[in-house]
Amino acid sequence: MEKTTTGTVAAGTDVGYDLDIVKMFFTATVVWALVGMLVGVIIALQLAWWPANLGLPWTTFGRLRPLHTNAVIFAFGGNVVFTGIYHSTQRLLRTRMFSDTLSRVHFWGWQSIIVLAAVTLPLGMTQSKEYAELIWPIDVLITVVWVVFGVNFFGTLARRKVQHLYVAIWFYMSFVITIAVLHIVNSLAVPATWFRSYPVYSGLTDALVQWWYGHNAVGFFLTTPFLGLMYYYLPRAAERPVYSYRLSIIHFWALVFLYIWAGPHHLLYSALPDWAQTLGMVFSVMLIAPSWGGMLNGLLTLRGAWDRVRTDPILKFMVVAVSFYGMSTFEGPMMSIRAVNGLAHYTNWVIGHVHSGALGWVGMISFGMLYWMVQNIWKRPLAHPTWASHHFWLATIGIVLYTVSMWAAGLMEGLQWRALNDAGQLANPIFVDITARLNPFLWIRLLGGAMYLTGAVMMAVNFWQTIRGPERPAAEPVPVAAD
Amino acid sequence: MNPLLREAAASVQLGWVLGAMTVVFLAVFLGWVFWAYRPKHRAMMEEIGRMPFMDGGDA
Repeated sequence: MEKTTTGTVAAGTDVGYDLDIVKMFFTATVVWALVGMLVGVIIALQLAWWPANLGLPWTTFGRLRPLHTNAVIFAFGGNVVFTGIYHSTQRLLRTRMFSDTLSRVHFWGWQSIIVLAAVTLPLGMTQSKEYAELIWPIDVLITVVWVVFGVNFFGTLARRKVQHLYVAIWFYMSFVITIAVLHIVNSLAVPATWFRSYPVYSGLTDALVQWWYGHNAVGFFLTTPFLGLMYYYLPRAAERPVYSYRLSIIHFWALVFLYIWAGPHHLLYSALPDWAQTLGMVFSVMLIAPSWGGMLNGLLTLRGAWDRVRTDPILKFMVVAVSFYGMSTFEGPMMSIRAVNGLAHYTNWVIGHVHSGALGWVGMISFGMLYWMVQNIWKRPLAHPTWASHHFWLATIGIVLYTVSMWAAGLMEGLQWRALNDAGQLANPIFVDITARLNPFLWIRLLGGAMYLTGAVMMAVNFWQTIRGPERPAAEPVPVAAD
Repeated sequence: MNPLLREAAASVQLGWVLGAMTVVFLAVFLGWVFWAYRPKHRAMMEEIGRMPFMDGGDA
């Protein structure tokens, strides 16, 4: 087949895409979503009601919290991105993956890493770097599996049947390359035993490298690959091309240029030199431009299809996801401003911000994609279409309860920590008094999180029964098929 | 810090390197904007935007 700019394939042509690997990652996604979110609900309960830590070292907050973050980011988030990448990359490049063997090594390697994380973190084995807690032998395994994925992904690019790489592929490329660089640089350590190592950086350098990694984990693990998914699956679900393909190119380049510098906003008011703090702040504020450009591009893709948003749960999930993307990318730049950060830092506001991005943007765009996929890949109608709608409302109301309670809690903490009385002394000198006042908000957050988890359980049951149900007759058109 | 880096940072050289990098990155970015928004490329861009729908369907 001759290479053309868009490599159009005639409808009904069998290109030989590998769907099995997509189904494998899809299944893993749903399983790990439930595990990760359940651990989140458990630790939310522990914060509201401490006896839930069971008095056992393995089940205390300090050990389960990294288990929750690793499970939702790298197990759920990772698998959902791999599901979308293995599905859309083949289709956008009009070719099968480079190597079926590498695809499977990637799948089983990634699942082994997750299992090792689930064993080591409750045992208290950690290198104490946030979002990079896993001990060095697992870090080495991550590197090997990532290289396998990278070779498979770029090998597929090399044998593509199109000239132009659709914007989603660019977002995926930034994910593959940047995560490799971030992971290796931040995890550089000298092993002392099989379970313990010492970082090659010390003091402030260690802090800066850690937050360069930490913020770009948000940027290049939870944002760029999901934007790639948005640029492929939102048009597919809405049955119309993206509003402005040109804007999507600007969105991509502006976002990757700016994101990589934003890390220092995690170290405001620290020993980091002032100029470096300001640099991080300025780049974080500038990030609002590409982020909102991308949000508008997503929302405007639905022009002329807004009536379908009322009835189609897939579009509902995606519209709310893109809206939360816009909201949390407004909140983030604002919180990175020094004066605002002085109020927000170390409070529950940060937890609220993270979850409006994670539950609202990452979670909802993933659910939208998964509902679209289960019907199109297994070629079956949803077993319970109304459950999808119930899931949507449970998740949306759950996020609102979560974020609003954490905003209120965070503002209260921030204000009470620094309130002074007329004599210029701390108005609330006993720290734990303020902590105790958080309790009602922590219960509301637990309720929000539990609703979100309930929705995810309904989704899993719905998928299980859909996949086991009868196949859609060939004559009946797929609801959101390609034209 | 690495002594070489420290020396470079203490001199004006590093400032020039960083300044030049900023100019190069900005120029590259403006190049992408120009490429994307060039009126001549309008039709091609719209065609490319339809790529998700031209993959041979469900086969």
